[in-house]
Parts: sequence; C-alpha cells; structure tokens
Amino acid sequence: MIEHLLDLTVSAFLLAGLYATMAYGLGLIYGVLRVVNLNHGGMIMAGAYAAWWAHDQFGLDPYLSIPIILVLAFLVGVLTYAGLVRRLPRGAAGGVQSLLLLFGVWLILRNAAYLIFSGNDQTVLTSYSTKALPFLGAQISVNRLAVFGVALVTLGALHLFLTRTYVGKAIRAVAQNPESCTLAGVPVQRIYMLTFGLGTALASLAGALATGLYAFNPGFGATELLKSFVVVVLGGLGSVAGTAVAALILALVENFSILVIPSYLTSAVGFVLLVLVLVLRPGGLFGQRVLG
Amino acid sequence: MKPPRWFRWRPAAIVLGLAVALALLPPVARISVYTQNQLTLTFVTIAAALAWNWLGGYLGQVSFGHAALFGLGGFVAARLQISAHLPMILAWTAGGLVAGLYALAWGHPTLRLRGPYFSIATIGVGEATRLVCTYWDWFTGGSSGMSLPVTAGLKLQLYWYGIAIALVGVATSYWLRRSPLGMALLAIKSDVDAAGDVGISSVRLQDGVLFLSGLAMGICGAFNASYYSFIEPVETLGFEKSISFVFMGVIGGVGTILGPALGAVVFVLVRQYFIASYPQLYLGLFGVLLVLVILFEPLGLTGLSLRVARRFGYRERPDLST
Repeated sequence: MIEHLLDLTVSAFLLAGLYATMAYGLGLIYGVLRVVNLNHGGMIMAGAYAAWWAHDQFGLDPYLSIPIILVLAFLVGVLTYAGLVRRLPRGAAGGVQSLLLLFGVWLILRNAAYLIFSGNDQTVLTSYSTKALPFLGAQISVNRLAVFGVALVTLGALHLFLTRTYVGKAIRAVAQNPESCTLAGVPVQRIYMLTFGLGTALASLAGALATGLYAFNPGFGATELLKSFVVVVLGGLGSVAGTAVAALILALVENFSILVIPSYLTSAVGFVLLVLVLVLRPGGLFGQRVLG
Repeated sequence: MKPPRWFRWRPAAIVLGLAVALALLPPVARISVYTQNQLTLTFVTIAAALAWNWLGGYLGQVSFGHAALFGLGGFVAARLQISAHLPMILAWTAGGLVAGLYALAWGHPTLRLRGPYFSIATIGVGEATRLVCTYWDWFTGGSSGMSLPVTAGLKLQLYWYGIAIALVGVATSYWLRRSPLGMALLAIKSDVDAAGDVGISSVRLQDGVLFLSGLAMGICGAFNASYYSFIEPVETLGFEKSISFVFMGVIGGVGTILGPALGAVVFVLVRQYFIASYPQLYLGLFGVLLVLVILFEPLGLTGLSLRVARRFGYRERPDLST
C-alpha cells in the first residue's frame, strides 16, 4: 500500500511538469493579451502529431524533434495573431469574439488532422518506451522522467527570459499596462505577436511531450485545454512557481482520485476541482486574481 | 387590456401567421413524410438555438456545453416515460426542470466571475456529463441507448408541438430582449459594475436566464427523444451537438432576437447537404465559416441583411444590434 501511494506521488510529480508547461502557454497569452486561446487544445494536438509524424517518417526521436516543432509552432502562433486575432475590433479581443474565432481555428486544425491522419488513435513507440528505473522501491518510466526534465528546463528558461531579458521585461510590462508601455516606446503590437507565438509554442511542446505518455487522435487537446485552465485558475497568472505548484496539486488530486472514484471519472476530476476553486477561492490559491 | 411594452403587433402577426400556415401544411398540402420530418426537426432546433442565444447572445456568456442540458432533459424524460409511465408532456416538463437545475448547479458559481470562466467550464461540463451518462447505463441505457414507446399519430402530433415550442421560444426571445428585463441583461453584458450601480442584480438575473435556457434546452432534448423514439449518449451529448448551437447563433447573429432562428434553419439545411456529400469535411467547413463570420460580419446573417437593407435606404432601429 505504501509503495502504491509512493508510486502515485512520484508519478504525480512527473506529470505536473507536463501540466505546468501546457498551462503556462495558456496563462501567458491570457495574462498579456486577455485572450483565452481556445486553439490551445488544437496546438497541443498538432504538436503531438508533428512529433509522431517526424518519428514515423524519418525515425526522428520525439525529443530531438522538439526544437523544430517549437520554431514551427511559434510561427503558427505569430501568424494566428497577425492574421486573425489582431483584426478583431478593440475591446472585442478579450470577449466572445476571440473565443469563437479561435474555436473556429481549432475546429479547422482538428478537421485537417482528421483528413490527413484519420481518426485512429496513434502512439509513438521508441526503444525506451517501456523502460523504467527503480526509485525508492517504485518504478519510474524513463519517458515520464524525460518529459519532466524537458518541462523543468523549459520553465526555467522561460522564467529567466521573462525576468532577465529586455524583451521578457517588456512582455511583463505590457501585461500590466499596455497604454503606459506605448508611451514608454514599447512596440506593444510586436510584443503581443511574440507572446502569442510563445504561448502557442508551449502548447505544441506539451503536445510533443504528451506523445511519450498517451495515445492521441484529432480530438486530443480538449481535456488538456481544460486542465490547463484549471492550473491557470489555481495558480494565478505570471508566476512560474505558482503555475508549478498548481500543476502539482492538479496532478496529485487526479492521481489519488483513483483510490476513491472509478477510473472513467478521472478526467472529470479537474473540472470538479475548477468549480470548487471558483466557489471557494475565486482569486486562485495564491491571492492573485486571474481576472480583475 | 393593453399588451406589454415589449409587444409589437407586426412581428407577432407575421410569426403567428407563419406558424398557422405551417401547422396547416400536413393536413392541407399533404407534404411528404421527409419534409414533415425535416420541418419538425427545424422547429425544435430553432427553439434550442434561441435558448442558447439567451445566454450566449443576450448575456455574452457563450456555452460550449449546451448538449449536456439538451441530453439530460432527454434522458430524464425518456427514463420517466419508460420506468414511471409518465405522460409525455409531464415527462418533458420534468426533463426541462432537471436540466435547468443542473445548469444552475455549475453555472451559478462560474457565472458570478467575469470573463471566460463560464465558457471554459462548459467544455468540462459537456465532457463530464457525457462520460457519466455513458457509464450510468442503469439510467441512460449506456451506449446502446433507450427506446421510447411509439403511438399512432405521434409524429403528426409532435409536428404541431414542435411549432408550439418554437413559438414559445420566439416569444420568450422577444420578451427577454425588449422588456425592461432585457434592458437589464444588456446592461449586465455591457458593464457589470455600472449595472450594479443602477440597482440591477446581475447574479439573480444571470441565474434566471441560465435556468430558462436550461429549461428550454431540456424540453427540446426531451422532444427530440420522443420524436426519434430513441436516445443514446454518444451523439446526444457529443461535443459536436454542443457546438452546433454555437454555429446556429453565430451564423444567424449572436445576440439578435431572431438571428439564431434563421441560423438554425440554415444549419439544418447545410448540415443535411454536407453530411450527405462531404461528411469528413463537415467540422472544418463550419470552422472556416465561424472564422469568416467573426472577422467580417460579427452579426452573421442578421448583420448581412441589415447591411443590404441599408444599401436600399432602410434606416435601422438601434435595438436590432447587440
């Protein structure tokens, strides 16, 4: 029993890395542009298919294809912003219209994936897919460990980028007050574009990483979008640490819920947690209001 | 007796005349069974699209999970008819009430907050409801579904009930938009704080509209189950069902009074055609349509027709727009 609990805890920690990565992408875009990127789920799905395709066609290891996927997804994000989101009238960008617009993009991506790759479930099988390392009597799959490592490095790099570089500071400044930034000479539109690209790249990274853990099909990403949102609401915006803790909480609650509820309901756990947080602590766990 | 202030004779006469003409169609014009089926389906779809719009259009709270309410109403009504042998109308009412209360259960906490919480939560509600209903086969019949009793003349009877439901939906839409209550909803949509400052209780009104929307959705779902004499969770509660209501609203014009009704008619027609000709392109084409409408004509067909009318010298009344 103790071993089983330890197993669940360790796997929750490792899963939290993935959750934090995908949630940070959604939170970044929301924090800076006040737009909920409903296409987040679509880009997670696209990232997964990109990693699978590179592996299937060229035998490229999913972890090695990540840099290429990141660059491509960044471009997709930049184009989505410049071509679509930017055209929405001011004020509407944060509201219903951007939700519906990005939802439309998600449907198009989903349909495209369905046409190209069919609706069948796909998996990426590598030589190390079934390997596991012993840890304190528990078994840790190599894939989970690798996913966790990549997520940790990415979030660390992101934190440094946002706090230490000029562009990163500009992004945070725009999140606080775009008008003042315009006055101070920050190219706000370009920052928006960059942020949208970054958030989209993070979504596809999460998707590529997820291929090591799950099977996926064109509908992949809907549950992930919801989980990302739960983490954003729990952890508040902007802080990498808050996101990480929130991701850990979600992963722990999900993993341990297996002990008390039937497994088919596990994917509903995140949603119940979301409603509970909204009722009990609408400002998030750490007091930063997500919406003001 | 003076009619209420939101009442207008001309649209009321047009809608009623249309309803009477449609009601007389089957006995007088002897339309084919296919046409009658399509029309019945259109009536209930119109009512459902309008019910979605009360929340998504009038309040700007877009729901991506209304299939959960539609399906729940259907399952409750079906179960009551099969196990408790409740009369159809009574079962429909019960289904609607349960759907309305269910909507309140998750909508009340999420609607109080600003921004897109509600919309995101609805994605989760839709998924969770589908999962639970698929696994609770003692209640829903599981993935193999449930069959309802069929009686003689039921289809024709439901044709007329469908017209009645659509009529109630249209009347409610006018009332929710044109009455002082409708002005309050518009105020909440535009600025919650300012609405609160002039004494509008946004919590109570939003909950009320949510309940109404859920009630209507549940009744539509119950109607649908009776009409097909069959209900199962995969299609009834599927994500595509949920977003079909979004499409109807967007195509017709989100927040307009009758736009979603028009959107529902177009949706039923287009869907029939696409499902027959390009089943694999169906979602993507609607996605493209969604993007184009939002970018170029956010009020959908209503906005388009207003634009055309303006070209011919028509001066619009300001309350037609969102």
